[in-house]
Amino acid sequence: MIDLQFLGLLNATLQAATLLFIAALGELISEKAGILNLGVEGMISIGAVTGFITAINTENIVLAAIVGVLSASIFSSIHGFITVILKQDQTVSGLILTILGISLSSMIGKSYVGKKLEVKIYKFGGANEPNSVLEVLLSQNLIFYLSIILLIIVSFIFNKTLFGKRIEAIGEDLKASNSMGLNINKTQFVATCVGGAFAGLSGIFLTLSYVPYWTDGMTAGRGWIALALVIFGGWKPLRTAFGALLFGFLEALGPRLQTYGFEISPYLIKITPYVITIIVLVVLTILKKGNTGAPKNIGVPFFKENR
Amino acid sequence: MNNYILSKKLKTNELSTFYSFLFGLLIAFFIGSIILFLQSNNPLEVFSLMIKLSVGSLNSLSNSLNKAIPLILAGLGISIINSVKLWNIGAEGQIFMGAIALNLVYINVTIGNSNLFIFILLISGFLGGSFCILLPALAKTLFGVNEIITTLLTNYIVFGLTIYLVNGVWKDPNSLNFPAAAYIDKSVYLPIVTSKLSSGFLICILFTFIAYYLKEKSVFGYELRIAGGSELTALYAGIKSKQVAFIAMLIGGGFAGLAGAIELLSQTHRVSTGLSQGFGYTAIIVAAITGMRPIGIFLVGILFGALTIGGSVIQTIGVSSYLAEIIQASTLFGALIIQFFFNYEIKKVEND
Repeated sequence: MIDLQFLGLLNATLQAATLLFIAALGELISEKAGILNLGVEGMISIGAVTGFITAINTENIVLAAIVGVLSASIFSSIHGFITVILKQDQTVSGLILTILGISLSSMIGKSYVGKKLEVKIYKFGGANEPNSVLEVLLSQNLIFYLSIILLIIVSFIFNKTLFGKRIEAIGEDLKASNSMGLNINKTQFVATCVGGAFAGLSGIFLTLSYVPYWTDGMTAGRGWIALALVIFGGWKPLRTAFGALLFGFLEALGPRLQTYGFEISPYLIKITPYVITIIVLVVLTILKKGNTGAPKNIGVPFFKENR
Repeated sequence: MNNYILSKKLKTNELSTFYSFLFGLLIAFFIGSIILFLQSNNPLEVFSLMIKLSVGSLNSLSNSLNKAIPLILAGLGISIINSVKLWNIGAEGQIFMGAIALNLVYINVTIGNSNLFIFILLISGFLGGSFCILLPALAKTLFGVNEIITTLLTNYIVFGLTIYLVNGVWKDPNSLNFPAAAYIDKSVYLPIVTSKLSSGFLICILFTFIAYYLKEKSVFGYELRIAGGSELTALYAGIKSKQVAFIAMLIGGGFAGLAGAIELLSQTHRVSTGLSQGFGYTAIIVAAITGMRPIGIFLVGILFGALTIGGSVIQTIGVSSYLAEIIQASTLFGALIIQFFFNYEIKKVEND
């Protein structure tokens, strides 16, 4: 007989991890192509609010998902335009994307705060409470399984295909990839928009399943943890997924610590994921002696003259 | 066949940052107008109301200047840290930490002379900000851990700590259900200069000049620029880059901490979660838009302070206060676009 509390923890871990992982995977794709996008938090926000509004008004979950993903992707193209086409500073542009995304989504979501969602993302396993680990694994919602499929596809692209190697080459060596005849600007721009689309999917998961409602600032720094996850995973999809599980576990564990008999203030528990993220980053950097596996050209703009 | 390539101009116009800013502002107000229009408001009406209520009278002007204080101080801190090519995204947390440190000293220390007490409280705020960035600074200088993410994450940690304090050990029993610490005594309020203008603004002017001197005129500023440049140059010049960067981070964090202390002593008079409303994030825009120049930060800080006040008053006619934030962020985006044309030229090359 397995402890029901444990199953609850496992379930919450998987959901928190899914949210973080999808956004992190998108950022990984963008960074592999050499574009650092600090706007993850803003893009999740935009995806979350547009998806939620569509779901409330149309009660059509598929349409809501499409709208959320597309709007986050279009929003991220601002970053693509500023950094890829206009060669401006990626740090500044990404930061502003976050600030703009959060304020813009608060503005358009204002009249939807507190509204109740009538539709939900399809969940497997029916309404019964799961009784075993296997049942928990098989009773997640659609986006959880989609994230596993995305993990397999992205890993396959980067490890096995020429297309993936070309993206990697751009992130590693601009001069070489230019002389190879690769279309650097196009690749970087598309990679940025794909990263935005992933963040949008993560946002939809947040408002249509994980929470599910809309309120200001509900992304609560998850976009930044996703950024840390990419570093944690050493720019490798599978390791990033394990990182997401670890961080998801910490997020799920927080509110449950008291039920396990720990006398900790619930307010202090809320900050544990952030503290642990910093500790993990420090330990990881020490272990790898500064060589974190980052693409060498992150943040470096590309000019044809560079050849 | 003709081919076009992009090349960086060797010489850029000295005033390019300023022109870009003006164009950026224009673009931002255009975007703001579209948003207002879509919400069936008259943009001209809303903007003129914003101007009237943010700079139209001595009272509202002082409100705007007061609002500019944290933006300017945190912005200056960010610019000092950026001299060594590092980013401080943690100003928001440092502002809260400054206020927390101040309150900690206020509770435990009693000094009869209120001027001296205020001075000591301000210093505690500064040190609180430095303390807040200590961990990211150590992690960066000792191990090379990315400071963008660590400083950002400290925001959430300090905000969580604030929520903990004002709901727990510091909770004022008289504040009923509103979570906040007890008010400080009137004797340690920062004095008013005129109308509603706090003397914190004078401190702000002083620190603008300190930052200007530190960055542009002092030996330390020279070391900062070298340390932010190539490692080899620093080695030749005998400058310990890491040490210099570490000190710069502590000073920069202290500026933001001071902002929190002034905010507490002159505006909120107590620690609460509403002490800073994203000032640390807006300060990043202020610093970046001016190319990290102290005098520019001072001026743009005032403008953005007025915008924030203008944004909060238009709520009364049903316009979202986020309009001000959107205009601020769009200004920087607009400026970045214009900056491109100052920094780069498109060359036509004959290709075989």
